[in-house]
Amino acid sequence: MTALALAAAELKRVTRDRTFLFFIIVLPILVILLVGLTTAGSTSIRVAVVPGPSTPMARQLVDDLQAGPGLTTRRYATRAKGVQALRRGEVEAVVVVPTTLDADLRSGRGTRIPVLVPGAIASSQAAVTAVTSVVARHGAAVQAAAFATAHSGRSFEQNLATTRSLQRETPALAVRTEVVNRKSNFLPLGYNYSAPTMLVLFVFINAVAGGAAMIQTRRYGIFSRALAAPIRARDLVLGETLCYFTLALGQALLIVAVGAAMFGVTWGNPWAAAALVGIWALVGTGAGMVSGTLFRTPEQASAIGPAVGIAFGMLGGCMWPLEIVPQSVRAIGHATPHAWAVDAWVDVLSRGAGLVDIAGYLAILAGYAVALFAIASLRLGRSLVTP
Amino acid sequence: MSAVVAIALKDLRQRLRDRSAIVLGFIAPIAVAALISVAFGSAGSFHADVAVVDLDRGPVATGFTSFVTGPDLADLLTVEPVTSEADARARVARGDLSAAFVIPKGYSEAVTAGSSRPITVLASVDSSIAEQVARSLAQSYTAQIDAVRLSVESAVRAGAPASSAGLLATQASTLRLPEQTITQPSGTRPLTGTSYYAPAMGIFFMFFAIGFGARSFFLERTAGTLDRLACAPIGPGTILAGKSLATFVYGVASLGTVAVVTSLAFDAQWGPTPVVLALILALALTMVALTALVITVARTERQADGFASMLTFGLVLLGGNFVFLGGAPPLVRNLALLTPNGWALRAFTDLAGGAAWTAAVTPLMAILAFALGTGGIAFALRGRVVNR
Repeated sequence: MTALALAAAELKRVTRDRTFLFFIIVLPILVILLVGLTTAGSTSIRVAVVPGPSTPMARQLVDDLQAGPGLTTRRYATRAKGVQALRRGEVEAVVVVPTTLDADLRSGRGTRIPVLVPGAIASSQAAVTAVTSVVARHGAAVQAAAFATAHSGRSFEQNLATTRSLQRETPALAVRTEVVNRKSNFLPLGYNYSAPTMLVLFVFINAVAGGAAMIQTRRYGIFSRALAAPIRARDLVLGETLCYFTLALGQALLIVAVGAAMFGVTWGNPWAAAALVGIWALVGTGAGMVSGTLFRTPEQASAIGPAVGIAFGMLGGCMWPLEIVPQSVRAIGHATPHAWAVDAWVDVLSRGAGLVDIAGYLAILAGYAVALFAIASLRLGRSLVTP
Repeated sequence: MSAVVAIALKDLRQRLRDRSAIVLGFIAPIAVAALISVAFGSAGSFHADVAVVDLDRGPVATGFTSFVTGPDLADLLTVEPVTSEADARARVARGDLSAAFVIPKGYSEAVTAGSSRPITVLASVDSSIAEQVARSLAQSYTAQIDAVRLSVESAVRAGAPASSAGLLATQASTLRLPEQTITQPSGTRPLTGTSYYAPAMGIFFMFFAIGFGARSFFLERTAGTLDRLACAPIGPGTILAGKSLATFVYGVASLGTVAVVTSLAFDAQWGPTPVVLALILALALTMVALTALVITVARTERQADGFASMLTFGLVLLGGNFVFLGGAPPLVRNLALLTPNGWALRAFTDLAGGAAWTAAVTPLMAILAFALGTGGIAFALRGRVVNR
C-alpha cells in the first residue's frame, strides 16, 4: 500500500513536467509518422524522367515509364535537375529521353536512351533493369510499326497506332511472379514497420532518460526524508519501480493505441502483443532504474541516456532491419535486448506468431529485465540516500 | 576582449569537466557514425543468384538461358544449377537463391504458334528488388520475341498478305529492337550511409549543447555567479559575448571533430574543407542564437532544459537528421528546409554527392538567415532576462 502511494506521488510529480509529456507522447508519434511515411514508398523503384521535347513517341515513352510496374517516376525539366535529385537520393536513376528520339526512330537509325546512375549501388541495377524492360516494350511497338510500314503502303503513324492497339488487345508474352514463401523475416513497411520499432526504441530511451527524475528525487533529499518516516527502503524501491513501470507501460500502450487508431497498424496476435509490450515495459523499467542509480547527475542521465538508447536501437534493428547488415553486426546487435524484441515483433507481425511461438524471445527479454533489476537493486541500496 | 575570453574559457572548462558534454559532443556522434559505417560498409553493387528451370528444352527457352547467362548480365546475375522446380522453390524459400525462372513445358511451341504461356519468376517474400529485377529481365526478353509477333500482325493488318506471315516472321526475327538503354555515370558519387549520417548525427548531438548553455546560465544565476560578475567592471554585453563564445567554440569543436574523425576513419565524404568549415561555423552560430532564444523564453532551469530538448528534437526530426528523407514525400522534404539543420544536410548531401562548392552557398545563406532571425528574436526579448 505504501509502495502504491509512493508510486502515485512520484507519477504525479513526473507527469506534471510538460517536457516529459512531449517525449513520452508527442515525439514517438511524430517519429512513427515520419518513418512510416518515408518507408511506405520504399518498395517501388524511384526514377527521374527528363522528358525532352513533347513529340509523340517521347510522350508515349514517358507515359509507359510512368505506368511501368514497380516504378515511381518523377519528371524533371532538365538533366541537371534530375542529376541533383539522384545526388540527394530522391531517385535511383535518371532516364534522359533523347531530344532526337522521334527523328531517330522514324529514320530507322534506332536510339540509345541514357539511364544515369550514381555508381554501383544496389538499387540502381534494379532501376536500370526495370527501365530497360519498359523501353523494350516501347521499342517492340516502334519496330513493329516500322516493319509494317516497310511491307505496306500505310504511313508510320498509322501503323504505330495499329501496333499500339494490338499491344493493348493481344496480351504480351506473359511473365508471372510467384512468391514461394509467405513468412517474412522483415517487418511490413510503412507504419507497420515504424510503430513497433519506435515502441521498442522510445520506451527504452524514455526509461533511461527518466532515470534523471530518480536522481533529482534523490538530490532533493526526498528519499532521505521518506526514510525518516516509518517507510521501509524496499517500499521506496518498489514505489519507484511501480512508477516507472506504469510510465513505460503507459507509453507502450499509447503507441499501440495511436498506431492502431491513427495509422492502421495491425498488432498481430493480441496475447503475444500484450505479453511483448508488458515484458518490454519491464526491460525499460529495469534500464531506467539502472540509469537512475548509475549516473550521478540528472543532466548525465537525460543526456547520455538518449545517446545510449539510440545506439542500442541502431544495433538492435530499430532503425534498419538486422537482416540487411553483415552477420557479425547482427550478432553484436543481439547483445542488446532491442534485437530480441524486434525479432519477436517480426514473428508476431510478419509470421503470424502467437504467444507460445515467441515464448523463447519473452524468456530472453525476461532475463534482461531480471538482470537489469538485479544491477539496479545492488546499486540502489547504496545510492538511495547519496546526494 | 580578455574578459570575454576569460569567461568563455571558464565556461568551456566547466563544460568539459562534465562527462556528459564530452560524451554527447564527441563520443556519441562518432560512435553512431562508426555503427552506421560497420552496418553498411560492405554494401556493394546489387548481385542476384538465380536459377533457370527449363521444362521446355525448346529453342526459345534455350535462348532465354543464353540471355541470362550472357556476358552482359554477368555482373548482375550468377545462374546456379538446380535439379528441379521443387529444388528451385526450396532454395528460393530458404534464401539460397534470390529468384528462379521457370519456363513451362511447351513454351517454345506455344510462342511459335502465337499463343502465350507465362514464364514464372519464383521469388521470396523478402527479396522484392531481386523479384523486380528478375521479372524485368524476363519481360525484356519476351519483349524481343513479342516484337516479332507484333511486327507480323501489324504488317498483315496494314495490308500485307496473311499467307506471307511465315516469311514475314523470318524477316522480323532478324531485326533488333530500335531502342536500347545505355547506363551512363551521372557524375555523382553514391551517397553512403556514413556520408549522410556522420553530419546528421554530428549536428544532432551538437544541438544538445543548446540545453547545456541555457541551463548553465540559469544555474549561474541561481548560484549568484552572474550577480558577482555584474559587480566586476565588465558590462552585461561582455558576459553575454563570453558565454556565446564558449557555446560557439564547443559547437565548432564538436562538429569539427566529428567531421575530421569520420572522414579519416570511416571515409565519410563531407566536401571541400573551406566549405565544410563555413557550414560548421554557421551552424555553431545558429546554436548560439538558439541558446540565447531559449534563455530569453525560459524562466527556470527546468524550463530551459525542457525547451532546449523539445527544440533540439523538433529540429532534428523535421530536418532529417534522424531519418533519411530522400524517399519521403516532397512535402516532408520541403518541411526540412524550415530548419537550419535541414539546409545543412542538403548542403552536406550535395557535397558528398560530388556537387561543386557553389551548391553550399544557398544552404549557407539560409542557415545564417535562421541564425540572424532567431538571434534577432532573442535580442528583442532580452528585456525578459534583464527584468527577472
